[in-house]
Amino acid sequence: MSTDFNIVSEIHNDTLVMKTDGYINNTGGEKIVLEFSKHINNIKKVVIDLAKSKVVNSIGISYLLEMIETLNQNDGKLYFTNLDPTIEKTFKIMGIFQFAEKADSIDSILN
Amino acid sequence: MDQNINLEIKLPKVPEIELVAIEGLEKMGKYLGIPEDKIGEARIVVTEAVINALEHTGDSNPYVKVEFEMTKERLIILVTDSGKGFNPDEIEEPDIKKKIDSTNKRGWGIKLMKSMSDDLIIESKPTGTKISIIKNLS
Repeated sequence: MSTDFNIVSEIHNDTLVMKTDGYINNTGGEKIVLEFSKHINNIKKVVIDLAKSKVVNSIGISYLLEMIETLNQNDGKLYFTNLDPTIEKTFKIMGIFQFAEKADSIDSILN
Repeated sequence: MDQNINLEIKLPKVPEIELVAIEGLEKMGKYLGIPEDKIGEARIVVTEAVINALEHTGDSNPYVKVEFEMTKERLIILVTDSGKGFNPDEIEEPDIKKKIDSTNKRGWGIKLMKSMSDDLIIESKPTGTKISIIKNLS
């Protein structure tokens, strides 16, 4: 089981797309927020594609809440794509979908 | 009679060591043909139980004991640490609206463990905490 965590990010107009690869724990969460903070002044939407992240923990998710707080203050929105069913259930239990959305694809947010 | 398989591991306080417990869980589940959704939920339960225990276990004994007992029908998870203990009744139910605006965005572990299992018992004393979790798998 790989423990490396990587992000590939792209900017499309006012949208930051981050494709994560690996375990979203404190280290992964910190990297996501760091990448987000580099672009915060130029974006309104953030898409996190979790196709290659099948394991998360609540500490990693707490970093996503930090992003949601910042996006809320800037009238922005966080979207998730390619959610593993267990991660989706985790987000539902926490109530995250009151503040963020699940999207069918990255393109559906960009278009 | 149902096959019953067990795993007992002593995990040191090392970053991402919870993945070792998860890997054991997944291999046991695959061997017994447990549905992926059940193993996925158990993965969250084990991750949260182990990271909580590792965070609270004492420096004099920086280890966490993890035990799995699995049949096709049921998984029993025991996670034991040697921390100073806590009062489970004092744990506040997290609320997403409050957490978003709070500087402390953590505190979801017990809620996730309870939500994704069928029974959860916390036995805590000043010498350590044992969390016993039952998850039905069928």
